[in-house]
Amino acid sequence: MTSIARPAPRRLASFAVPSVPGNERIALTQVAETVAGLGLSPARLDKLKTAVAEATMNAIEHGNDSRPELPVRVEVFQSGAEIIVTIADRGGRSDEGTPENSAEVPDLDRKLDGEQGPRGWGLFLIRHMVDAMAITTQGERHTVRLMMRIGSQDAGGGED
Amino acid sequence: MHVRQVGDRAAVIDIKGDVTAASEPVLMSAYEQADRQGARRLVLNFRGLEYMNSGGIGMLVTFLIRANRQHQELAAFGLSAHYREIFELTRLDEAITIYDDERSALSDAAS
Repeated sequence: MTSIARPAPRRLASFAVPSVPGNERIALTQVAETVAGLGLSPARLDKLKTAVAEATMNAIEHGNDSRPELPVRVEVFQSGAEIIVTIADRGGRSDEGTPENSAEVPDLDRKLDGEQGPRGWGLFLIRHMVDAMAITTQGERHTVRLMMRIGSQDAGGGED
Repeated sequence: MHVRQVGDRAAVIDIKGDVTAASEPVLMSAYEQADRQGARRLVLNFRGLEYMNSGGIGMLVTFLIRANRQHQELAAFGLSAHYREIFELTRLDEAITIYDDERSALSDAAS
């Protein structure tokens, strides 16, 4: 039996932003600059940027409670034809109430009827923007992992 | 954001820059201005949109709820392909009619 070895992920960037609302724009810009030239189409790059912005915003607001002294750490890797972005916060201690733990899928009709609040679209958007996403918690460290395949035509709905 | 009255029944709200939760006071103020002018059809011009996030989508839902209560129609134009797709994913496009340009959005209002 033969096995196909997966290439070791190559880290392309690693940076942190203070947990200040609005700093998700810094994260999306830096990730976009990092992956420029790797072969993502403009449409898929837009999707990755939206997913990175939403995940970073969740990390800032829900994971780190918008405490500027707590960084949100962003890392970008390439593994073969996959671009992987990880976004980590310190929210692992108190996951209750974070958007990803909410079982409620946003539904426009229910929102218009007042059965759901108008917000709560972040995780929904992330899931539909990337080829796969995974959420892990290790101690206090809470990490969202986003994956986009280079050369794919469409993204969305994937979850590891 | 800037509100333009078009005829007796329509108003165009020109959106510039970001649409996030932080834009709510500005957008709601634009809504109130259009409402005071008696607009029955509100047209959102997204040509100047630079960035919209989930908070902005939530704010558009609030905007939609207010417009629905007043039996006003909502339309939009100028969305990029990316944000048009987000409107489709969230089904906002079922509640806010999307047009390619301002002329189409307004001519439909007049018909």
